[in-house]
Amino acid sequence: MRDPDVVVVGAGADGPAAAWKLANDHGLDVLVLEGGAWHGNKQWPKPHADAGGTVSTDPDDLDGKLLDEQFTHREADANDPTWGYLRVGPADHSRAPWFRNLHQNAFIWQISAVGGTSLHYFANHPRAYPYAINEQPHWPIDYEELVPYYQLNEENTSTQQAPMTGKEEVFIEGATNAGYPLIETKNVTETGWRPQANAVEVPGRQTATGEPLNSEYEGSFSYDDGFRGDTLVGDHFQGSSTPIDAPVRDKARKSSNVGYVPRALDTNKDATKGNVAIRPNAYVTDVETKEGFGSIEATGVTFRDSWSGQTQTVEADTIILAGGCIETPRLWLNAGLPDDGWVGKGLTTHWFDWVVGVYDEETIEDINPDMKHMDPYIGQNSAVRFDKPGVGGMEDIGMSPGLVSYADYLFSQAGYSFDTPVDPDEPWDTRGYVVGKELKRRMSNYRQTKALLILTDDLPRQDNGISLDNTFSDEHGAVPKVKWEPHPEDDAKRDELSRIAARIHKEAGAEHVHRCDWPPLLLHMQSSMRMGKVLDSNAEAKNVDRLFVADHSALANGLGGPNPTNSGQALALRTADRIADLYF
Amino acid sequence: MKGIGGLAALSMSNATIADVQAAVNDQLPSDPHTADTYRSIVDAILPRTPELEAELGPEHVPGGLDAELEKFLIWDFNHFQEIRSEMVTEKLDLLANEAAMPRSMFELTLTTGGLGSDLDALLDLADLTLGDLLDLGLDGDALENRLTFGAVERYETSFVDLDTSAEGVAEFEIRVDIDDETYHQVLQNYPYAPAFTLVFDVVAAEFLVRGNNEQPPEPNQKFPAGGTFTRLAPRDRLRCLWTIVDGSIIDDLDELLSPLVPDLGILKFVVMAVNGLHGFGYYTEWSGYGSTKTETPNERKMQKPAGAVQSRKQSDYPGPALGYAADWRHAVDGGFADPDADELNLPDDLSGDDVLSGIGGEN
Repeated sequence: MRDPDVVVVGAGADGPAAAWKLANDHGLDVLVLEGGAWHGNKQWPKPHADAGGTVSTDPDDLDGKLLDEQFTHREADANDPTWGYLRVGPADHSRAPWFRNLHQNAFIWQISAVGGTSLHYFANHPRAYPYAINEQPHWPIDYEELVPYYQLNEENTSTQQAPMTGKEEVFIEGATNAGYPLIETKNVTETGWRPQANAVEVPGRQTATGEPLNSEYEGSFSYDDGFRGDTLVGDHFQGSSTPIDAPVRDKARKSSNVGYVPRALDTNKDATKGNVAIRPNAYVTDVETKEGFGSIEATGVTFRDSWSGQTQTVEADTIILAGGCIETPRLWLNAGLPDDGWVGKGLTTHWFDWVVGVYDEETIEDINPDMKHMDPYIGQNSAVRFDKPGVGGMEDIGMSPGLVSYADYLFSQAGYSFDTPVDPDEPWDTRGYVVGKELKRRMSNYRQTKALLILTDDLPRQDNGISLDNTFSDEHGAVPKVKWEPHPEDDAKRDELSRIAARIHKEAGAEHVHRCDWPPLLLHMQSSMRMGKVLDSNAEAKNVDRLFVADHSALANGLGGPNPTNSGQALALRTADRIADLYF
Repeated sequence: MKGIGGLAALSMSNATIADVQAAVNDQLPSDPHTADTYRSIVDAILPRTPELEAELGPEHVPGGLDAELEKFLIWDFNHFQEIRSEMVTEKLDLLANEAAMPRSMFELTLTTGGLGSDLDALLDLADLTLGDLLDLGLDGDALENRLTFGAVERYETSFVDLDTSAEGVAEFEIRVDIDDETYHQVLQNYPYAPAFTLVFDVVAAEFLVRGNNEQPPEPNQKFPAGGTFTRLAPRDRLRCLWTIVDGSIIDDLDELLSPLVPDLGILKFVVMAVNGLHGFGYYTEWSGYGSTKTETPNERKMQKPAGAVQSRKQSDYPGPALGYAADWRHAVDGGFADPDADELNLPDDLSGDDVLSGIGGEN
């Protein structure tokens, strides 16, 4: 694409949504530059070993069977932060990941690729709490203005209520016994529990035998044999390319490479619409500007091909930054764009915690008479949640054992459980790292174990965020230095949610409850380039004309605690409309 | 010379670069000090547990060392950060290029033999004296009594054929002299794995000086090449690591440790990783890659069914599947109510029923 109207920097969860809207609804030509790999595209048959093609504009380039080969469903293969196919780094897997300087006991979990961090998400798509938009003082727009974009995004991503399997039935037992009501709206203003709204198709929408998908089903799970919809595998953190053999667009879980990229490329086949070109392995290193009347104006970007090392500048009428909460401010600062003190700052990350319940067979059998195990790898990873607007939320989660061992027992800020006393007034039995014989015992109970993820409503603070590191640089400039620490208010909210989680476990009959006391896990990152601070109500930079941000960094706070993908994509769709109104 | 494959090692004296190249495919994962230090961590977190056989079954006896988990830790740390040749400068004046990194940040030689104690060697490297340690609030004599880098006689990290005028991934050479042997590795990333083991020895010595240990240290025959760290009892090794995160040990040791790692600030992250990598390694299918487990990712191949690897048998997880025939239901008939935006009719007070007072964000 020689003369795009818009360049989008980053093909993560949000960039492709904006690109689709600009081309589909406004007839604009959009070039999307992605720093990482592209999986499931015939132009890059070995994306981690060979440079492959340059750019893709044809939806027929997408190949679901190729995606099945690349996404092996194995945990280490997928999730190892250094060498997994879902990591932050160059596509070339003989090279190390991109370095971020992090001076804390903390973990940053992101993915650089077409689809971005949505490649490993659980596809949970709750909306922000209306409270967080309208009654926290951060947002320049009302909740009601986002609702039509939520509705559009939910339609595009097949968002619906998640299915309940064994572990969810146990959660519902606990939440109900603890006295919490079922919430029956997407616009949550009261405390209670509800099925997840998630971007995964209905399980077994069609099956290979025409029989329903339940424990009696003995047919195939292959698309070629007629299976459609979710296959109830809990491998969403490994990429989830199910059902196998399905075309990319028909994979059940709608990460943005599934939910948005195919429909963005479809615009190229319709002469009445604009065009979308996506170029992976293209890391943007600079934003080009010119002086305007009393301000500066973005005119293009310079990017570096991560295989050849060659750089190239491309001009456009408007630029959208969608590299994520770390890379967007990093690029901004390395490009020398104006910083009034909030660029990269105000990072929120849902001050997580993780409360683990271990159950015995009799308890499970009482709740689900046909089962002896909850089998956390069966069903969706997270299909039921709890909401408490003003404090945060929580999610019931089951995963495969490597992830479980890390999240349940090997990630803590409390020290080792053998040295960590438990306050007898608290509702958990143990706290901190679990190692040695006790770790093996707990993991031998893996199939009877599930966890509740605490998502605390942390508010943006200027002390938290991304700056340029003054020690290390890489081929893209100074590396990002990342810092996030909770405010004491956040700790109080998190403690309250953790107590509720422990109570829900115990009300369901858990025989052992463990609180991990996680250190910061930077996964749900939001608001490091906030609307209301760095951006105006159109998500255009206050200090640079024609430069927009359309990723989770544009969110004005942490949404009250709900998972950010639905809100990030909804806002990106709105920003695309605003760009078309303002400049085209 | 290709460092791809990451772990090239050989054992010989006076080795040349060509010798190193010839040994690029050698499978020795590291020098013995490095290996024994990580082995001692693996053994503290995931030991062999014969006592669990009667309780849970024989598959629960083997530990992390039976799966060679130390190789996983070493591989991951050694592939953690790439350094680009064109970003390195020989000059100390960095003002000319703000992004440049000085060559000296990445190169060091620690000579423990011949200069006196292991602490003397470190002081020499850090350009400090025992008197300086006093000013830093450290008891030099006590530290000297405690600190040993075990079998390490000489430790050197240097660039291989650094050409700062050419773009590309810099390669590093690591040489460790132990007894009469020299262990070489050529890596295309900064060799963090061996560097961290030296840090752990120094932190362990200070841990002992402060009396934070609960059991007396003693030479450990399981880890004969290890230093102070490996002489700690298993739980004390973990307590020692934890003092890096919680406790001022790293701040107090800052000047003494600073030559050993390009940026000491990452050490708290490293402690997170040392623990967490047991999950990413041991409890995933990693050990099922068999002889390919420390190849580059494109070369790794599963050599066992995912459910047949040691830790998978211990967790009773059968490995990934294409789908599950499982019973499920929707909890809400007909889904959620969702009126159009102009008919939302939200309550006047959206703040929920139990708002904790926030600070409003801003600062």
